[in-house]
Amino acid sequence: MNFLYDVFVEPLASGGYLFRAMFAGSLVAIASSMIGCFIVLRRMAFLGDAISHSMLAGVVGGYLLMKLIAGEEAHFGAMIIGALLAGFVTVLLIGFVSRASRIKDDTAIGIMYTGIFAFGGAMASVFSSEIHVDLMHMVMGDVLVVDAERLWMMGAVTAIILFVVILFYRQLQLTSFDPIMAASVGVSAPLIGYLLTACTSLVVVSAVSIVGIIQVVGLLITPAAAAYLLCNRLSSMLVLSAALGVSSVVLGVYTSAWLNIGAGSSIVMAGTLQFMAILILAPHNGLLAGTLRRWSQVPQHIVEDVLGCLRRDETHATRFETIRAHVQATPAVLRRVLRRMVAMSLLNQTPHGFILTESGNHEARRLMRAHRIWETYLQRVGMPEDSLHDRAHLLEHLNDEATVDYLDDRLGHPTRDPHGQEIPEDFIDLIPGAEVKASLLRDRHRGVVTAIIGSHLHDQVALGDVIVAGPREMDDTIWTFRLPSGEELHLDHDSADQLTVRLADPNSERQVD
Amino acid sequence: MIARPTRSGVPAVQVDHLTVSYGPTPALLDISFQIEAGQLVGVIGPNGSGKSTLIKAILGFLKPDLGEVRLFGAPTDKARRRVAYVPQRGAVDWDFPVTVEQVVMMGRYGQIPFWAWGPSREDRQHVDDALVTVRMEKFRRRQIGQLSGGQQQRVFMARALAQGADILLLDEPFAGVDAATERALLEVLDSTKQAGRTLIVVHHDLATAAEYFDSLLLIKQRLFAFGSPQQVLQPELLSEVYEGSLKAFEHLRDVSTGGDK
Repeated sequence: MNFLYDVFVEPLASGGYLFRAMFAGSLVAIASSMIGCFIVLRRMAFLGDAISHSMLAGVVGGYLLMKLIAGEEAHFGAMIIGALLAGFVTVLLIGFVSRASRIKDDTAIGIMYTGIFAFGGAMASVFSSEIHVDLMHMVMGDVLVVDAERLWMMGAVTAIILFVVILFYRQLQLTSFDPIMAASVGVSAPLIGYLLTACTSLVVVSAVSIVGIIQVVGLLITPAAAAYLLCNRLSSMLVLSAALGVSSVVLGVYTSAWLNIGAGSSIVMAGTLQFMAILILAPHNGLLAGTLRRWSQVPQHIVEDVLGCLRRDETHATRFETIRAHVQATPAVLRRVLRRMVAMSLLNQTPHGFILTESGNHEARRLMRAHRIWETYLQRVGMPEDSLHDRAHLLEHLNDEATVDYLDDRLGHPTRDPHGQEIPEDFIDLIPGAEVKASLLRDRHRGVVTAIIGSHLHDQVALGDVIVAGPREMDDTIWTFRLPSGEELHLDHDSADQLTVRLADPNSERQVD
Repeated sequence: MIARPTRSGVPAVQVDHLTVSYGPTPALLDISFQIEAGQLVGVIGPNGSGKSTLIKAILGFLKPDLGEVRLFGAPTDKARRRVAYVPQRGAVDWDFPVTVEQVVMMGRYGQIPFWAWGPSREDRQHVDDALVTVRMEKFRRRQIGQLSGGQQQRVFMARALAQGADILLLDEPFAGVDAATERALLEVLDSTKQAGRTLIVVHHDLATAAEYFDSLLLIKQRLFAFGSPQQVLQPELLSEVYEGSLKAFEHLRDVSTGGDK
């Protein structure tokens, strides 16, 4: 208990300044991480950086103006208004440069904000005798020395931001997502853009006193980016982003008290750690979830090798040992693959071994077709006979339908592979009722002609004719069809491709021999 | 879907002597045509021919140098609610945290008063109807990035329907979708047309243009032809517009003779 007291309560009790820091920091974090959501979604992260740097010039300008005109030292309001104006001027200048020249946005931002920051620094040096604020303090920020005046300002800023986000929620969402659509329903994207810029300036001005100019972007966008990884809705992203902003402030202030480091750094660090944790652990898109998913997936090529092994095995049920002898995989992986294949109902497990189910058989036949077509292809491109099988065994894993059908077509729809084994017909496409090119038909397939491309076939076949395919002739290069008249039609590959037929149901009409 | 009454005699879109320029050469020059309500019209032409400029002009985003666009007889800025725009798929940020339902609801934003806390029951009803029309009601809670290409296109179609617009402008809806999706999308376009809406579709594929559209607008800076696909898809005309890449159009003779049967 003592330990817990020391860690959590003691820092707060000592004068209450830590508590005040957390409160002030949380106010700022809510405002900045909500605006940060829109900055992240509109890809304007650099803008936060630009505004935070250029506001130095505005602060110095406001300070000098009040000092020289009214003789007032460090007039708070003037410095804030100066900062806002400087932010706005920077944004306008960036827009001007990228519109008026071929310079793109990111470069324009880099030019303008460093320039205005440098101008502010130069002014501060020239008038160094007049200025009695610690610029270093502004550049680095310190949440631990927040005074009442600043606290009020932060409260006001947070209230304004909440008000704007709630009131203009639909407009902000629409212009961020689809500016063209926004314009077509009368929401002015530029106007909302200005509103967002003003809000960003406001937020940055108050955030600078917490974490300083250099790290302000971290407070602005890191919680929003972390929320972006988790959320599918803008509304939940806004809420989560605000919560993550607050938690990074609380965590950061504690850490700064424990380790005695600058609060600005520890707050931004806490935010970054939160982000990294979410990046790794996010349930759907996280790195860990992705790795686990890949781990639990069974390698497709092993599944296919198992299918091939079971198809070739002529015994009724295949034992695990037999599969292991034919498939290259560690026993553990193989067991997992088999379990998964049973779950996918590709296999049935019986006491005597594994049996292919109907869909497993279908899949195995599809693979066999791919293998034999690849072998034919390899022979056609001149691969030596003895390496055909091994290479085709590797290539059969490229078996998506488009690939196999393309090869099949290029090869002229061969019926036998180089070893003389039958290549199954294109049974994926050849289902009764489907419209296919006549070149896909094999011996005894029947179909109704539904389309004839080109003219030279018109005097031989007519639409609606029922034709029956006969055996292929001339080394598989000539297709034969029996016409309703009883005549035989002999076509080459190209001509057969010009006929489209609707396949008849083989069970009702195919003759049994 | 409820059929929309249209005042007879007033064309849905009337473009008169429209000339728009971005620089010294006009992007569109002296374009005049009118489209009757309930038509499905394809806009074809080579890249950079001013197709999107024409769409933007009909949406009222551009100030023409000369001429005007009238929608049901009213100038574009008075008829904003009567047109809806379906963006190209590539122009959308698919990672944006927004669900199908919310995107479609955006179509109602123009009608939701500024001070209202959220959409009304009537707005929700419009969204439901639109989702059913494009058959996406099952996916309403999905984030839009988790959809297939055709589904994504249908979501934006639903948004345009929810807007309650009479004229729909679609920018290359068939780009990058597979044949089955193209079919499904075409059915949605057709039923939208049946409900009396006017659709103007920027299209790339000349081979399918004849089959999909009631009439075609062939533009390249100027209006080269406007009429039925048979009138517009003349190889001589196309080779002039597409600068002599005639070979690409040889099959069109087949298409047009095939279409006559």
